[in-house]
Amino acid sequence: MADVESAEKLSSVSRPSEGVGGACCSEISTELIRSLTELQELEAVYERLCGEEKVVEKELDALLEQQNTIESKMVTLHRMGPNLQLIEGDAKQLAGMITFTCNLAENVSSKVRQLDLAKNRLYQAIQRADDILDLKFCMDGVQSALRNEDFEQAAAHIHRYLCLDKSVIELSRQGKEGSMIDANLKLLQEAEQRLKAIVAEKFAIATKEGDLPQVERFFKIFPLLGLHEEGLSKFSEYLCKQVASKAEENLLLVLGSDMSDRRAAVIFADTLTLLFEGIARIVETHQPIVETYYGPGRLYTLIKYLQIECDRQVEKVVDKFTKQRDYQQQFRLVQNNLRNSAPEKIEPRELDPILTEVTLMNARSELYLRFLRKRISSDFEVGDSMASEEVKQEHQKCLDKLLNNCLLSCTMQELIGYYITMEEYFMRETVNKAVALDTYEKGQLTSSMVDDVFYIVKKCIGRALSSSSIDCLCAMINLATRELEADFRGVLSNKLKMGFPATTLQDIQRGVTSAVNIMQSSLQQGRFDTKGIESTDEAKLSFLVTLNNVEVCSENISTLKKTLESDCTKLFSQGIGGEQAQAKFDSCLSDLAAVSNKFRDLLQEGLAELSSTAVKPQVQPWINTFLSVSHNIEEEEFNDYEANDPWVQQFILNLEQQMSEFKASLSPVIYDSLTSLLTSLVAVELEKVVLKSSFNRLGGLQFDKELRSLIAYLTTVTTWTIRDKFARLSQMATILNLERVTEILDYWGANSGPLTWRLTPAEVRQVLALRIDFRHEDIKRLRL
Amino acid sequence: MRSSLMPLGPPVSRDRIIDTFPKWYTPDASLQLKEHFHGQVSAACERRNTGTVGLKLSKVVVVGDLYVGKTSLIHRFCKNIFDRDYKATIGVDFEIERFEIAGIPYSLQIWDTAGQEKFKCIASAYYRGAQVIITAFDLTDVQTLEHTRQWLEDALRENEVGSCFIFLVGTKKDLLSGAACEQAEAEAVHLANEMQAEYWSVSAKTGENVKAFFSRVAALAFEQSVLQELEKRNSARPQVGDGNLIRMEENSPETQDSKRPFSLGCC
Repeated sequence: MADVESAEKLSSVSRPSEGVGGACCSEISTELIRSLTELQELEAVYERLCGEEKVVEKELDALLEQQNTIESKMVTLHRMGPNLQLIEGDAKQLAGMITFTCNLAENVSSKVRQLDLAKNRLYQAIQRADDILDLKFCMDGVQSALRNEDFEQAAAHIHRYLCLDKSVIELSRQGKEGSMIDANLKLLQEAEQRLKAIVAEKFAIATKEGDLPQVERFFKIFPLLGLHEEGLSKFSEYLCKQVASKAEENLLLVLGSDMSDRRAAVIFADTLTLLFEGIARIVETHQPIVETYYGPGRLYTLIKYLQIECDRQVEKVVDKFTKQRDYQQQFRLVQNNLRNSAPEKIEPRELDPILTEVTLMNARSELYLRFLRKRISSDFEVGDSMASEEVKQEHQKCLDKLLNNCLLSCTMQELIGYYITMEEYFMRETVNKAVALDTYEKGQLTSSMVDDVFYIVKKCIGRALSSSSIDCLCAMINLATRELEADFRGVLSNKLKMGFPATTLQDIQRGVTSAVNIMQSSLQQGRFDTKGIESTDEAKLSFLVTLNNVEVCSENISTLKKTLESDCTKLFSQGIGGEQAQAKFDSCLSDLAAVSNKFRDLLQEGLAELSSTAVKPQVQPWINTFLSVSHNIEEEEFNDYEANDPWVQQFILNLEQQMSEFKASLSPVIYDSLTSLLTSLVAVELEKVVLKSSFNRLGGLQFDKELRSLIAYLTTVTTWTIRDKFARLSQMATILNLERVTEILDYWGANSGPLTWRLTPAEVRQVLALRIDFRHEDIKRLRL
Repeated sequence: MRSSLMPLGPPVSRDRIIDTFPKWYTPDASLQLKEHFHGQVSAACERRNTGTVGLKLSKVVVVGDLYVGKTSLIHRFCKNIFDRDYKATIGVDFEIERFEIAGIPYSLQIWDTAGQEKFKCIASAYYRGAQVIITAFDLTDVQTLEHTRQWLEDALRENEVGSCFIFLVGTKKDLLSGAACEQAEAEAVHLANEMQAEYWSVSAKTGENVKAFFSRVAALAFEQSVLQELEKRNSARPQVGDGNLIRMEENSPETQDSKRPFSLGCC
């Protein structure tokens, strides 16, 4: 008890002493010691005090050890004292010097600035003086140059004068010699006018005489006199005259040319080509002069003037073309023919040369316009390198307007418009002809019209492509799409609609025999009405050939699309057509490609027809014979079946015979589809008869064997796996093969393993019930 | 097949999103008077079960006399610009405009044809396969309205009967006063009924009704496309793998079982 109390006392007392702080080092105060009465407590306190004393002594020792170092540090500090004073003095001096330098620098720079200003003014003054001197020099120079007929020199003087700052002239007037300079200026202005007149006159003379060096000489003077527009317009006038005379010459040559000439059929296209080449050559040769003496960005003006003449000449050529070739007349006839209201039909072959010529004409003008665009844009680019975006756009707009709205463009578009209609007519009529003249050669899968039609379509689209006009090409692709989808597909579809004739009784017994065989055999036997057989066989053959045709069409369309695509990438890479041209083209092409699928659908329809009219009626009786074979058999019969197959071998033989006929006259792809349809049919029909039969254990085994050989055979005739189609039948065979009803559970549900059941539980029960040796109660009791 | 044309760019802009069925311009000449999407269509859209409709482009062909403003109308809608200068369309131009209708992306391919007689041969080659035919006329020029008959006849000749939506659009509405406009519209509505077309009055200059009109066009075309797709799917023959071979019911009790110990552990 006492211990606890005193401990409490100790702790309670020691607290204030802590609060007092460092003055009293010990935790135990004297009052506390005094208050202690027990010896034990005293001893304890004493011990603690001793401990504290030791700690204090250690601390004191440590402090004393440091004394030496501290003292040495103090000494060094004392030594540094005077140095610090020195530094302070130096620093003050430095600051003073810096301030002084700064002031000095400012003084100097302000003086430099003044000097600079003075220098600039001086330069200006010198410039002015120079200008005034130049002015005087020009005044004198012009006179003498004009006297000597040195027009280049005179123009150079005038150019110098025109370049002078107007204020300089004002300034020189104010000088002492004001009146004299005034007079001189007047002279100068007069000289300018005179020079302009002379140059214009001389240029006109040179133009008249066709003196190219003189023309070029004065052409170069115009810009010196600040007459850029006038110079260009006059020069192009001269060039236009040359273009015109050359073009007239060419046109006369054409009109007088022999129509049996090798190039006679495209003579107008050639004339246009000559015209374009002529203009291109002019641009080529004169561009450097214009660029050098008139600066970049002026080519547009020159070409603008030239294009007017070009349009005029093109109009003449096209006019003659229209007249000589009866273009309008032919177009009107074609239009009437298309509307079926024409008294006379145009032979499409007669249109061939004119269509080729029109596309060639358009291709040439596209090429020419592209050349102009390239030249003008690059010239603008150099001229506008410093110009704002607006100016650039303005120039681009001008360029577009010039090239798109020129008469050449419009005329060509008009010609192409007519061309499209005529080409459509050409295509339609030739396709009709190909269909009418359709022939089939023995040993071939398809008939002639497929190749012919695609040759025609390719030719027409190819011709449209050769015009280098994307609109024209796309329009032609659209028309071809229509022709193939509506008309040609219609032809094939009608042929298929006539159907595969149902076979006669004799045919069923013999299986389908190829047309030729039937004909031969019937002729030999002389039993049948050969005419009737012939027509049904022809109908059959026609049906099969049409199926092949449809398939080839679908293929051909895909090929056509691919070829067009690759042809046009070339065209687009040359930069033909606007930004939308490619998208337009792609869109039309995808419409064309979609027709390929339509043909594929038609093929499927045809195959379905074939399967239902020719295959199914034959296969069904063969399968039905399965019902007449008992599958409720004993060991003996089972062995007997082994030796004398009751059903499957004959069935396979029949199938093989039938399919071999088709194999010979159908393309491999269609034949594959047909066998696929056949296998589906066999699977479905066989399932039906199996569900009508009854089995015992050995019968089930027999069916399993039969199914295996059937699947093995069908696998050899088809290219893809048929296991999927026979999955349900195989599973039925598995069920029919069970020892006991409950054995099914080894294959069902969790035990099915990799097997996916294609039969529903109800169907499994139904199949189990086919086994006469399985009890109904057992089947009912199954938990599936 | 057309996916190469699909501009798989950024999402469509806000004003190309159509959630509610756009209304007709006038009930007197309208193709459909209902105010909501066909029930099957909205259901299919909700289930995102519209098949390949979102990848397809519907072809819209705009025809009409020259200078009635076909190009201006299209440019106002597609680029939101109006150019005062007349520039004749050469041959054909086209624009692809993307929409999002009831949450399904959908694109219109708008073919702008030339009105000039001399380009008719080229332009008419593009009429085929159109889902929508827009015949435009100038509200201030009665002649152009009369000519729409011929334009429509030409365009329909290239398409299957009853396969296209037909719109009759009067342009330059801003140039007419209220009374004159009403009179012109009455005539047009009469003709529209004869043509079995839907009538709209628009102004490309002010932009009045332009967006509403094209939204209506897009919505009708979209609805038809979806219905066709659904019909095609219903009539499609069942194919291998279509049956209910994978039965989900068998799995569901198992999953419930496997969940049960978990819930027990929690408590």
